[in-house]
Formats: sequence, C-alpha cells, structure tokens
Amino acid sequence: MFVEIEEIAKEFGTGRALHPVSLSIPSGALIALLGPSGSGKTTLLRILAGLEFPTSGRVLFDGRDATGLSVQERRAGFVFQHYALFRHMTIFENVAYGLRARKRRERPTEAEIGRRVNRLLELIQLPDIGARYPGQLSGGQRQRVALARALAIEPRMLLLDEPFGALDARVRKELRQGLREIHDTTGLTTVFVTHDQDEAMELADLVVVMSMGRIEQVGRPADIRARPASDFVRSFTAA
Amino acid sequence: MRAGYLSAPSPLPGFGLSFGITISILSITVLLPIAALVGHGLGIGAADLWEVISARRIRAALALSFRAALAASVFNLVFGLALAWALVRYRFWGRRLIDAAIDLPFALPTAVAGIALTALYAPSGVFGQLLSPLGIQIAYTETGIWLALIFIGLPFVVRTVQPVIEEIDREVEEASATLGARRTYTLRRVILPMLTPALLTGFALALARSFGEYGSVIFIAGNLPFQTEIAPLLIVIRLEEYNYDAATAIGLAMLLISFAMLLTINAIQIWSRRRIGNV
Amino acid sequence: MSDTNLMTRPTPVTTEPRLARHILIGTVVTLIAALLFAPLMAVFAEALRQGWAASFEGLTSPDARAAMRLTLIVAAVVVPLNAVFGIAAAWAITRFDFRGKAFLITLIDLPFSVSPVVAGLALVLLFGANSWLGAWLIDHDLRIVFAFPGILLATLFVTFPFVARELIPVMMEQGRAEEEAALTLGAGGWRIFFTVTLPNIRWALLYGVLLCNARAMGEFGAVAVVSGKIRGETTTMPIMIEMLYNEYLSVAAFSLAAALALLALVTLLLKSLLEWRYADLLAITRRH
Repeated sequence: MFVEIEEIAKEFGTGRALHPVSLSIPSGALIALLGPSGSGKTTLLRILAGLEFPTSGRVLFDGRDATGLSVQERRAGFVFQHYALFRHMTIFENVAYGLRARKRRERPTEAEIGRRVNRLLELIQLPDIGARYPGQLSGGQRQRVALARALAIEPRMLLLDEPFGALDARVRKELRQGLREIHDTTGLTTVFVTHDQDEAMELADLVVVMSMGRIEQVGRPADIRARPASDFVRSFTAA
Repeated sequence: MRAGYLSAPSPLPGFGLSFGITISILSITVLLPIAALVGHGLGIGAADLWEVISARRIRAALALSFRAALAASVFNLVFGLALAWALVRYRFWGRRLIDAAIDLPFALPTAVAGIALTALYAPSGVFGQLLSPLGIQIAYTETGIWLALIFIGLPFVVRTVQPVIEEIDREVEEASATLGARRTYTLRRVILPMLTPALLTGFALALARSFGEYGSVIFIAGNLPFQTEIAPLLIVIRLEEYNYDAATAIGLAMLLISFAMLLTINAIQIWSRRRIGNV
Repeated sequence: MSDTNLMTRPTPVTTEPRLARHILIGTVVTLIAALLFAPLMAVFAEALRQGWAASFEGLTSPDARAAMRLTLIVAAVVVPLNAVFGIAAAWAITRFDFRGKAFLITLIDLPFSVSPVVAGLALVLLFGANSWLGAWLIDHDLRIVFAFPGILLATLFVTFPFVARELIPVMMEQGRAEEEAALTLGAGGWRIFFTVTLPNIRWALLYGVLLCNARAMGEFGAVAVVSGKIRGETTTMPIMIEMLYNEYLSVAAFSLAAALALLALVTLLLKSLLEWRYADLLAITRRH
C-alpha cells in the first residue's frame, strides 16, 4: 500500500510534537523513522496506525483519505515496543486474536484460523510454541510472536515501534535479518521507528531522519551518510 | 550465631522475641477461643449438633444469611468493578471525594450504619416515603438485609481491583484495537480476564464479611423468625437463653460454611491463575 | 522511549464511547450518593432533629459519658497491643525464614473469615461461668465474660489482622538489606529497630493503627455477645446506641452515632491524607 502524509501536525496541550510534516511512502518499501527521543517519530507512527489523531493534516492510503478511519478500520499491523502480548492467552490465542475478533460474517472457521496461525508460527520459526504463555518466552521470541500476531490480520501495512529496543545486541542482529526476510516475503509496506542509526541504515530502503518534530532529511542510507542535509543529521548519523 | 532451631540461620536478632509475641497473642486472642468453640462442639457430638442445625428455624436463618450474603456480594462484584473502573479511568467532578468515601463502611461502626440505613429506608424515612407508594418496601424485609450487606461489603472489590486496573498497560488495549477488536471485545476478552483474580479476591472478602455480619443488619432486618432472622442473630438469641449447645452448633455451622466458601473461591482462583499462566 | 505523555493524550482507543462513560459515571455517583452519603447525612439529621440542646443532652447523660469513657479505654488498650503484635508478627515473618510461615499468615487473617458474633460466642465458651477455666477465674475474682476483659478480648479478636496486614507487605518489599547494613556497622537489635526499621515503616504503621482504632471503637457484634450490657459498666458506645435505639430514644442514639460518625470522618480524612502523601510507603495494593 502506498502511504502519503500531508502536512500532519500534532499538538499536546502546551507542546508541539509534530510541526507540519509531509512524507510519501512507496508501496512495499521498508522505511525507518530515525531520531532521538522526543523527535516525534513515535507520534508519527501512532498517527499512521490511528492510535493518535493529528491536530491538522491528512493521511492518505492508496490515494484515499484515511485520516478519519478508526484503528480497527485501518488494519495496520502494529508491533509495540514492549510487544503488549496478552499474558493470559497462549501464543496460539494471541496470534489468533485478530481473526477471532472479526465480525461473524468475516471470521474464518476455527480450522482455517488454526492453519493460518500455524503457518505464521512457522514463518517466525517458532512452530512449537503455540501452547505456551508469553511469560514463558524469551524477549526475542516474544518480539517474533508480536510480529506474527500483527501479520495474522493480513494487514495493509506493518508498523513497528522500536521493535528491537528491549533486546540485547546479539538477538537484535538476528531479528533484524528476520524482519528483512519477512518484509521481502510479504511485500508489505513497513515503517519502523528507531533511535539506533546502525539499525536504520542496515535495514531500511529509505531513512527518515527526524528531530524536534520536524523531518530533517529523507533518503537512502548511503545518500544520508554521504550527503547529510543538516548539522543535526551529520552529528546524529556520525554518532 | 543466632540461629533458632525453628528458623533458618539469619544474622538479624529478635526471632525468638518476635515469634514468641506473635504466637502468644495469636493463641490467647484467636486460637484458644476457636479451639474452645470446636471443643465444645465435639463434646456435644455430631448427632446432637446435626439435630440442632436441622431445626427449621435455624436452617432458615443459615439459608437466609448465605443467600443474602451471596446476593449482596454479587451486586458488589459488578458495582465494585464499575466503580473501580470509573475511579481509575474517568475524570469527573467529585471523583476524589468518592474515592475517599469508599472506605466509609470500614470506618463507620456497623451499628451506626444500621440505624442510619433504617432511618432512611424505613417506610417513614426519606427514601422509604418515596418508595412505599410504588409498593416497594426495603426496611424490615430481605431487601433491607441486602442493602445493609451491600453497604458493608462495598469497599472490598473496589479496593482489590483498583490497583490492578491502575497497572494495566495501555499498550495491551491499543494492541487489541490495532488487531481489529471493537472496544467491547477488548473489555471482555483482554481486560476482564486480567482482572479476574483480583475480582475473586474482593468477592471472597466481601462474602466472608457479609455472611457473618451482625451490627448493620439487625436494625433494618425486622428479625422475624423464618423470614428476616439472620444466623448470627439466632446465636445471640440462643446465648441469651443460656442455650450454649444450640449457639455452638450454629456457630460451628457458620464457621464451616465460611471456610467452605473461602476454599471454593481459592480453588477457583488457583484454577484461573493456572489458566492465565505466568502472570 | 516515549515521545508522548500518556496523561495529556486524548485516547479514543483506550476508552469507552462518551455515552457509555456518562452512563457509568452517572450510575456510580447515584449509587454512592444513596448508599454512602445519604446514610451519613441521615445520622447527623436525626441527631439534630430536636435541636442542638437535645442532642447535647443525649451526649452528656451519665450513661453516655460512661460509654464514651469505656470505648476510649478499650481503644487505648487494644490499639497499642495490636501495634506491638503487628510489628512482632511482621518482623518474624519478613525477616526470618521458618517452616509454616504461610500457615502463620493464614492464621493471622483468620478473624476476617469468622463472624464477630461467633468470635464472641467462642470467648463465652472459653471464659464463661460454665467452662472450667471461667469458673476457676471467677473463683479467683477475675470475671472475663460480661466484664471489661471480655470486651477487650473480643475487640482484640476482630481487629487482630489490621496492623500486621499493613506492615507485612511493606516490610517484605523493603527487604532485609538495610537492617543487615546496620548490623555490619555494629548496631544492636533494638538500635536497629528504632533507627532503621521503625522510620521505614512508620507511615504504614500509622495507617494500620488508624484502621485498627476505627474498628476497635466501632465493634458491635463481638462486643455485644460478651458485654452483658450492664449500663454504665460494660456498655461501649455502639452497645449504648443499640440500647437507646431499642428504647425509642432516637435523638440520644443518633447523637452518640453522630459522635462515632465524626470519628469515622476524621479517620477517612487522615487515611486519605496518608494515601496521597505517602502512597509509595504504604501497601496500598492490599489496603482494606
């Protein structure tokens, strides 16, 4: 899906989280929103998901205005920073959740749900953990389950908030590769938020550098390294 | 080395003293009296105890106490959940005042609560006058007993569930929404299961308390045998007649019923915890 | 990281529709008004039904004054005893490992699941004139049931868990490290207790004492069974209220009730202040 952000601004009470920003995300791209904390990157991601509403501006999905759509209607697969798995449900029930929550008419049969969940668990290379609970998994495994759960609803795009933030360095490297592979097999438009420039540069097709609620630069990783558009970008990507 | 044979070795002093004080006061004030009650019961013998308990008036009183406590606690389960949810999640005028007032039933002596509720809900009272033209009578009926038990059991569910609601991670609700779930579905499938253990704890405490309650009930109940006479009152009546055996029988029956209730709820809780896994 | 503040964000996703919210708030406020606030106001309205003078007269009759004195004395004995017990139990349970600890905690909570009337009955059976212990004590001029010691024991029984239940979670969470540090610095047992432990638990202790005091002054069921209701001697305030009420001396009964209701309000006020100010030092999650 092709996503356009038109002059989106967001104010919170007294402060301004986003100055009007605009951005086009080509269909099937893997995009990184890169910036320090407080740069507005998470706010932008949450606006795309419909978890937050912009003070002004529009979001377009495939050319259609999606600003007024509810979270449920947007069907964006969202992976939360701390995964937000349902602790009282098994891994299977977690992944099946989005399918079971559908209206009866649109809901697949239980057999179909079972097939899909198992396929997703294979995709994340954890085929045998369906009966376990989130509390019994490692951090890396939880992250992959969160990804599978987001994919289960057949999302129109995939949004990830600091997907590797809570993991140690070794696991992080492994999972980066995993995300790349999943992106390539599904072909989903994917946006992830990170404050780690290595992660952004290594993984993304396109990097959006943000600071203080503004977009500083948009470009391929190599171009951003070679030709930083501002002092901020230079110092941040050099770090 | 200060290591009692009762406790694992610890460098800190005072085990003997603190343990000694604990056990002595516990024994004198709680364990010995309970033992005396059980001992007296054993002296009477199971057959005679059963004969006392199976008297119609006593069975009616025990059934009433149980029924009313259950009804009031179920009400408090639902209302307490709504109240806790509103207090944590919504901002409205008077919220803090209500939050502070929730504990009134703990702080207000039960006898005071009893006469106050009676004054309000008796046919001549402020609320009673409003209700009696509608044919609703509260004081001196079983409804009055419910009302008193709802009053004294009110804080339990609220106070056990409130902190759990406060700790719910909003991300989990957002996750549910991004997966396409409507709000009611999220509340039912995600929030409610998270609150179940705390709800059960609160319910158990309220049930135990209201089953044995005396002070707030006797004023509003009317105390008619077979109709509005609760089991604790019957114990008092038998004691005033110096019929210690009958009082003991009812007392033991009440003790057994409360333990059975608590055990049941504990079992449900263990079962639901196991289902929830490693929470 | 979080770019946003949870409190200031309007969160349509994590709340209910406006109408549902308003209905819920409306229901809650109405029920609380009818269940909690109305009875409280009724107490004062009934007390003042015949004016301040009549109410004052109800409070200053010799019997009422004797009842107040007895209630105060009972609380003055029970509350410190309970505090000592609570501290000792919490110290033993949180600072040492021993077999049967879980069972001990269950026993401490036992009075919560025993009807106050049954507690009173148990005391009568243990210390009453027709038990051998009671008979022996009476022979030695020591009456327990239908006398002051019985009222004390009954009140102790029902208030038993209050202080311990506040202290145990707090001391559990604080751990033993600070006391052990004091130990390595050469402090003795009592010094450790007064300089390290007590300052750490003082607010939780005060909280427990407050709740214990409210219950001690207001206990009715257990005391009713053991008091014998001798006017001017073994009638506490709640017992006196019942007697006056049954004699249709409504103003006098409600005047005493209003005095206790005022006490309850003060308790709630102090309790709320403690919760707002020292929430992190209290075991709020287990409060009741």
